[in-house]
Amino acid sequence: MNKWFKHIGIAIALLFSVTAFAHDGADHADDAKANNGQIWSQLKAGAEGRTTSLSEFHAQPINTYDLRVLELRSDLLAPALMAALFGMIIIFILFIKVNGISKLHGGFSGKLVYRWSKFDVSIHWLGAIPCLLLILTGLTLLAGRFFFQPYIGEGIWSNLVYAAKQVHDYMAIPFMLGWALMTTLWAKNQLPKMYDVKWMMVVGGYINFGPFKGKHPDAGFANAGEKLWFWAFALFGLVISASGMLLLFPNLFEPSRTLSLIALVLHSISAIIITAFSIVHIFMATVMSEGGMECMVSGYCDETWASQHHNLWFDEIKENGTLKYKE
Amino acid sequence: MATMKFLCDTKRCIECNGCVTACKNENDSALEWGIQRRRVVTINDGVKGEASISVACMHCSDAPCMAVCPANCFYKTEDGIVLHDKDTCIGCGYCLYACPFGAPQFPQGGAFGARGKMDKCTFCAGGPEENHSDAERQKYGSNRIAEGKLPMCAELCATKSLLAGDAEMVSAIFRERVAYRGSKNAIWG
Amino acid sequence: MQLTRKSNAAPTVEKKTLGISRRQFMKQAGITSGGIAAASLLGTGMMRRAEAKDVPHDAPTEIKRTVCSACAVGCGLYAEVQNGVWTGQEPAFDHPFNNGGHCAKGAALREHGHGEKRLKYPMKLVDGKWKKLSWEQALNEVGDQMLDIRKESGPDSLYFMGSAKFSNEGCYMYRKFAAMWGTNNVDHSARICHSTTVAGVANTWGYGAQTNSFNDIQNANAIFFIGANPAEAHPVAMQHILIAKEKNNAKLIVVDPRFSRTAAHADLHCDLRPGTDIPFIYGMLWHIFENGWEDKTFIQERVFEMESIRAEAKKFPPKEVANITGCREEDVYQAAKLMADNRPGTVVWCMGGTQHHVGNANTRAYCILQLALGNMGVKGGGTNIFRGHDNVQGATDLGLLFDTLPGYYGLKTGSWKHWSHVWDLDFDWVKSRFDQNSYLGRIPMNTPGIPCSRWHDGVLETPEKLAQKDRIRMAFFWGQSVNTETRQRDVRDALDKMDTVVVVDPFPTMAGVMHRRKNGVYLLPAATQFETEGSVSNSGRSQQWREKVIEPLFESKTDLEIMYRLSQKLGFADEYTKRIAKDEKDVLVIEDITREINRGMWTIGMSGQSPERLKLHTQNWGTFSNTTLEALGGPAKGDTYGLPWPCWGTPEQKHPGTQILYNTSRHVLEGGGNFRARFGVEYKGKNLLAEGSFSKGAEIQDGYPEFTADMLKQLGWWDDLTAEEKVEAEGRNWKTDVSGGIQRVAMKHGCIPYGNAKARCIVWTFPDEIPIHREPLYTPRRDLVSKYPTYDDMQVHRLPTLYKSIQEKDSAAKYPLGLTSGRLVEYEGGGEESRCNPWLAELQQEMFVEINPADAADRAIRDGDTVWLEGAEGGRIKIKAMVTPRVKVGVTWMPYHFAGHMHGESLAANYPEGTVPYVLGESCNTALTYGYDPVTQMQETKASLCQIVKA
Repeated sequence: MNKWFKHIGIAIALLFSVTAFAHDGADHADDAKANNGQIWSQLKAGAEGRTTSLSEFHAQPINTYDLRVLELRSDLLAPALMAALFGMIIIFILFIKVNGISKLHGGFSGKLVYRWSKFDVSIHWLGAIPCLLLILTGLTLLAGRFFFQPYIGEGIWSNLVYAAKQVHDYMAIPFMLGWALMTTLWAKNQLPKMYDVKWMMVVGGYINFGPFKGKHPDAGFANAGEKLWFWAFALFGLVISASGMLLLFPNLFEPSRTLSLIALVLHSISAIIITAFSIVHIFMATVMSEGGMECMVSGYCDETWASQHHNLWFDEIKENGTLKYKE
Repeated sequence: MATMKFLCDTKRCIECNGCVTACKNENDSALEWGIQRRRVVTINDGVKGEASISVACMHCSDAPCMAVCPANCFYKTEDGIVLHDKDTCIGCGYCLYACPFGAPQFPQGGAFGARGKMDKCTFCAGGPEENHSDAERQKYGSNRIAEGKLPMCAELCATKSLLAGDAEMVSAIFRERVAYRGSKNAIWG
Repeated sequence: MQLTRKSNAAPTVEKKTLGISRRQFMKQAGITSGGIAAASLLGTGMMRRAEAKDVPHDAPTEIKRTVCSACAVGCGLYAEVQNGVWTGQEPAFDHPFNNGGHCAKGAALREHGHGEKRLKYPMKLVDGKWKKLSWEQALNEVGDQMLDIRKESGPDSLYFMGSAKFSNEGCYMYRKFAAMWGTNNVDHSARICHSTTVAGVANTWGYGAQTNSFNDIQNANAIFFIGANPAEAHPVAMQHILIAKEKNNAKLIVVDPRFSRTAAHADLHCDLRPGTDIPFIYGMLWHIFENGWEDKTFIQERVFEMESIRAEAKKFPPKEVANITGCREEDVYQAAKLMADNRPGTVVWCMGGTQHHVGNANTRAYCILQLALGNMGVKGGGTNIFRGHDNVQGATDLGLLFDTLPGYYGLKTGSWKHWSHVWDLDFDWVKSRFDQNSYLGRIPMNTPGIPCSRWHDGVLETPEKLAQKDRIRMAFFWGQSVNTETRQRDVRDALDKMDTVVVVDPFPTMAGVMHRRKNGVYLLPAATQFETEGSVSNSGRSQQWREKVIEPLFESKTDLEIMYRLSQKLGFADEYTKRIAKDEKDVLVIEDITREINRGMWTIGMSGQSPERLKLHTQNWGTFSNTTLEALGGPAKGDTYGLPWPCWGTPEQKHPGTQILYNTSRHVLEGGGNFRARFGVEYKGKNLLAEGSFSKGAEIQDGYPEFTADMLKQLGWWDDLTAEEKVEAEGRNWKTDVSGGIQRVAMKHGCIPYGNAKARCIVWTFPDEIPIHREPLYTPRRDLVSKYPTYDDMQVHRLPTLYKSIQEKDSAAKYPLGLTSGRLVEYEGGGEESRCNPWLAELQQEMFVEINPADAADRAIRDGDTVWLEGAEGGRIKIKAMVTPRVKVGVTWMPYHFAGHMHGESLAANYPEGTVPYVLGESCNTALTYGYDPVTQMQETKASLCQIVKA
């Protein structure tokens, strides 16, 4: 960390005549020295002046900030995002190998229960597809230079990273739209309940060994795991969208350079969390929970799946008569 | 090998903007209206203590722009000059956030007012293309270093305020200037 | 250490290896097709000029030595030309003036080789549309109209506005052109630049020029700037100033209403109220006399009538000075003390001192300060008057003025006879070209013409009030931008009223576009100075031979060719070019013009500077010292760089040039001198000649009058002349003897040809004998008007001039803010050329007014707001406000380089296609007001009034 300070220090020292050199000055230069010191401290404090350049930030000669930000990105966040994606995948594959998946007891009933509207399905994918692309392109942008570039040709790399930037910029818009709709429209069903605690205690009954084996905790429309994912997505989706907007439309929001750097860090942290959750979510829906994927394909789920995974919800709709089967 | 640096002597800088147009002149082929690789900033404007400073890319020893670039388009020459490859640049603007000196600049263009390829001071050392090739001239401007010359801004400085060259030599000149300023031994150079 | 080119092998740049990628390919393709698109936009019928980027890097390179065309420092540079295209600019580290340094303008010179916004071919306004003409047709039409007007209204109805951008040869031939046409209605921007300096300073000690050199400032121990801002107007001069500061610990004192970029480097800044220079100087002199700091020996030997000054200074005790000028008493004392304690000190002034209705008196006051301190004629002293255009010194020397022939000979019959003799023409023929009648008791041939500052009054005034036959009906605007003249609304009316307007310039300029005419405007494209060659005089009187860098762009022609062709059309080409050879293409041989200049310019010693000597100096500029300006060796050994005049005698006499005027510590043959005996030998019974002071080696060891043939005979030196010299010298004097014999013999005996006299503190031929404070015509201090009133209205030469009738009206109530103007470093003069240079224009894109935060707060104006500024005569301009403490409370400042907007409306539509400058803006002179110096007709641009409101 100190390395950064030192090197920037040298660069700045060479830029301006108002540095320590002045202290070697001749005796009669006391006034000048005081003046020099004053200018130097003003500059270090980020003083702005007049300039004929109209370019961004050009009125400020030096913008100082904590240079550890740079190291944080390269040494911590980039590997963390790699871990969130590939690490989680590996863990899940291993887990499934050991644990196996959650089968439907007694297989598919063949009767499909209405669970999601067509609109709900659409907004899910409106957010989900961009999200996947954003994860992949974002990974390229944050960690690509460390993990991919050394192994591919320069031409391919420059095309790849350029494409990543373009896709990342364009996908941000549908993603944010999807995020906003899902968050506002679905929140009602995602409020935590007491039985969610129990669900958590047995990890949803997905574990096929030890004391957890064979448990089927209660769950409403959404189970506690899904709720956790929802709220994490809502919160970090907000952070990632807000910081992303700053970075995407610098002219609109005119952030300071330091704020942009902070946004960059927050964007990365949010990305790591969302990526990790996304992997879990995808595995749960596609592999882990038999019959789960059907919900976001047709909007209907198998009756067995409903009673096994969301028993309270299934009971409720049976009771109040909103239960609808697919014709 | 040399480590190239700029140094601006604020006691001599008079904000004549000679360095700014010298750069425009020399790198005309690569620059467009609105991109100023170098600028002069005057602080305490109009009051006692007013001082002007010429600022551009400082070719930092451990450059923040290099650290932050997602495309890793920066590289350093044997002379310690920080250059970048416009073909790899993706116009994300992170280098602008990271640079303490506001050196990187972007032509506007594309959707959402997206940034174009970043442009910054090259220490008049061109870019990754072959020396003096058309591609180099059109993307980066001149390559005076390859001709054994120093950057145009410093060479044309009206009052020899802006110095460019090997860090040791530049700071030695400056140190001597400061030491003898106002005495009969004062040097000028 | 200087920044020198690295001699070792070029360091190699570490390169990434990569083949051409798809995107690279696309990008290249994009560039190529973009280029084709741009080329096709140039339109039909226009030749496409080659650009730097079209020239391969390895094409053979020619190096030309040329001189910057911006201010008068005279910075040299190397221009690299490949395939006829100006492809590179390299610093001339070995140039004695600038050591390779340049300001924004100098560093952007190569753009002259692009000339994107230039006028491309001759054009004429027909029913509101610009129509292309051939050169032949254009010159025929212009010539016919000149002759028609001459027939109806006489030669004085033509006006010849000239330029400080001409080479010396161009200036000379332009003045000669007006003479051959038969008018004195010829002038150029020195009128509104340093005309008051020339008059005031020449009338004090002999010559109206910078007395020392830029390089000599390195020897100063104190530098006093009044109305000068070299950091922005003459940036390379700052190199020498900062050397003095660093090496000698020289004290810098800046007297300016504005905290300028120069003030930022000063030890003392005095923010006087605009127009109070004289009280400030008297305030300093009060302290100097009170404390006995004056140089008594110097005054006794070399100064006439310091007593009158001493008496006047008594009227300006510290309190009174503080009241008038607004400066603190302590600051005025400090300024005086710093100058007294740190001798030699130099005084530098520019437009802040000259552009006042009391400008001539201001400049005399500055001279008197230096005389009192004994700072004249010494290294590090003198009055360093920085001139503003690359050849404004030369244009002044060569009489491109309304009141003199070349060499300050004046307009007396004797002067005309001298020049007729130089031209090898019959005086009676020359006389016959003029209007032979007299008007208001004045004879046109011997009466100064209409000044550059007021040509529009020559158009708008009723003919009965003019001292000439008729008003001005047709004018040439040859290299001069009319937006630099005050009262722009009258300028526009005058442009509208004339029969014909002819603009000869590389750019259309304001004269071509600001009028409301539909017909009768001609635009003739002139080449720039980089497209021709010739000599150019810097502010320090040194001349350089500027090499041609490129051929004239587009269809433009050089100034000299246009003048010559026009003279052919008008029928006086034979007389006009009698002594000048023509080459096989019927183009004037420029060296012959220089030789003719040498043949006539004896008064200022511009006689020894042959084209051969000038070229030798320029080609060997590296052999001259950048501290002493002298060549220790090399082909020009012993000479001073550029042979600063006076370079006495003929070129064969090899005078080395005079770097420091009036320097008695040197022999005349080594550039020594003393004050000039220009005003007679005595005044009211008192001796005007020097007493006991003489230049080194002079055989007459006391004062002596100027040399004549008779004087040589009396001294017994007549026989030192050769037989041929005797023929020419007989009955003549040192100024009119074209053999140079009288000068040679005088110098042989160590004497200065112009005599040896005292400098004078009183000028009995001027409206004020000594400098007298007079409040500006538009003053914010009404309470001081009765004590320090201006002049009564008077007739000056051909024009009536108002003073009291303007000052009587109280404008201060409606217009409470002081208004002054000045330069930006990026632009030059009217700015037409520099605003067409994208490298410069990008840096200053909007016209603005500087206003103090307190005044801005009173008006709810914030930095960057758009405001309406209304001048005291009602001229309104819409500009940006720059809220800054640079200007003191109650004072505002504007740059004067902008034009192209008027009263908030853009004039862009009036330009011919493709010639609209990158940046347009309101001219500050739309708001600036009446006020003219009674001696030189200098315009008042530095002390006026205005009001500002948010737009």
